[in-house]
Amino acid sequence: MWVMRCEEVRARLDAYIDRELPETERAVLREHLAGCAECGPEAAALERLRDGIRGSVPVYQAPAALRRQIRLALRREAVASAPTAARAPGWLAYAASLLLAVAVGSGGTFMLLGERQEDRIASELIDSHLRSLLGTHLTDVASSDQHTVKPWFAGRSDLSPPVVDLRSDGFPLIGGRLDLIDGKPVPALVYKRREHVINVFVLPATKGGLDRALIRHGYNLRHWDEGDLGLWAVSDASTDELDEFVRAFRAATGS
Amino acid sequence: MAWIAQRRRQTRFETVVLPHLDAAYALARWLTRNEADAADVVQEACLRAFRYFDSYREGDAKSWLLRIVRRACYDWLGRNRPAELVSLASEGDPDIPGHDPPAATIDADALLQSRSDLQRLDRLIEELPPPLREVIVLRELHELEYRQIAEVTGVPIGTVMSRLHRARAALRRAWDGKGCG
Repeated sequence: MWVMRCEEVRARLDAYIDRELPETERAVLREHLAGCAECGPEAAALERLRDGIRGSVPVYQAPAALRRQIRLALRREAVASAPTAARAPGWLAYAASLLLAVAVGSGGTFMLLGERQEDRIASELIDSHLRSLLGTHLTDVASSDQHTVKPWFAGRSDLSPPVVDLRSDGFPLIGGRLDLIDGKPVPALVYKRREHVINVFVLPATKGGLDRALIRHGYNLRHWDEGDLGLWAVSDASTDELDEFVRAFRAATGS
Repeated sequence: MAWIAQRRRQTRFETVVLPHLDAAYALARWLTRNEADAADVVQEACLRAFRYFDSYREGDAKSWLLRIVRRACYDWLGRNRPAELVSLASEGDPDIPGHDPPAATIDADALLQSRSDLQRLDRLIEELPPPLREVIVLRELHELEYRQIAEVTGVPIGTVMSRLHRARAALRRAWDGKGCG
């Protein structure tokens, strides 16, 4: 017969009242509690607390208005994420082609196409950022040492990212990752600001690319060029924090 | 057509995920501690979940959604109540990899004992630091198993158990101490 000492019982009391113990241990505990003047009341007190919480604490329910709003927002999102050609009615596509023709005539083509391209990359980067947050795949190489992270990319990507240590600025380096953007392997550097992840994606520089600040779907993006490289920082950190990060990053790389 | 596929995806999302909206809202309400912010955070989280829906595999939709909602709540806390995100005192596992060394730590006991106005259990729970508050809410109110709580909060089961133990010990001492047991 298996006998438990009081301290072994105490260590299992929470799991006991939560029904998380295997049946064999459960039986041993039940026996002990019935006969022990110290542990028995302890278990009873825990159960009282649980019943107290379940009996007295408000049960919150989502307001009907919230449910409606979410449905609406989902519908907007579903429509917006379908490819343009598929959702634009014929006349709209026609109007757009006229507009494009006007733009070509006035020398605005580059800007128009440039913005569309930028938008597409921005959405891909946000998707990539989201995947990194929600999956288990935040880093391929987890290290706070820039001299470990930088060489890891050699041979894996044509682009050699500038890896800097920003711990003293409050943005510790977490590691690096290789993502597919636009069908090509793209280095991503991962930094943190408290709870927030900041992904820095390293793409080829966009010719004549300007420093850009974008907000898409509630995520902040910052874009700047360093030599041949075009860098994109993506995060759900606040605008100010991301600006601070970019300043620190550029100060460290001397760009 | 892509448009139809998107609408199908939306319908499937509403069927699989939206049944857990009450649970999502309740968790957000406990973590943000007010209704308007909880609604904002849940809406944002649902949109995030929808964008990420392709990666959802058949399984525990509730834990999947709660994990995203919790993440959104912590983002919200980081923006609006950063003081609440200080680390727990004497916890061996900083649960966020690369987390900064804590500037200050919280002793849940001292926190509860210092508030003599707290008598009701719901107020006591609201005063717990978020990592302890959420395990109590997920276990006692959502009745999740340890395995699910670990999935939602992204920490090992051992950490879930030690947090539950600490949260209950702090609640019990504060509750008994006020003579409301």
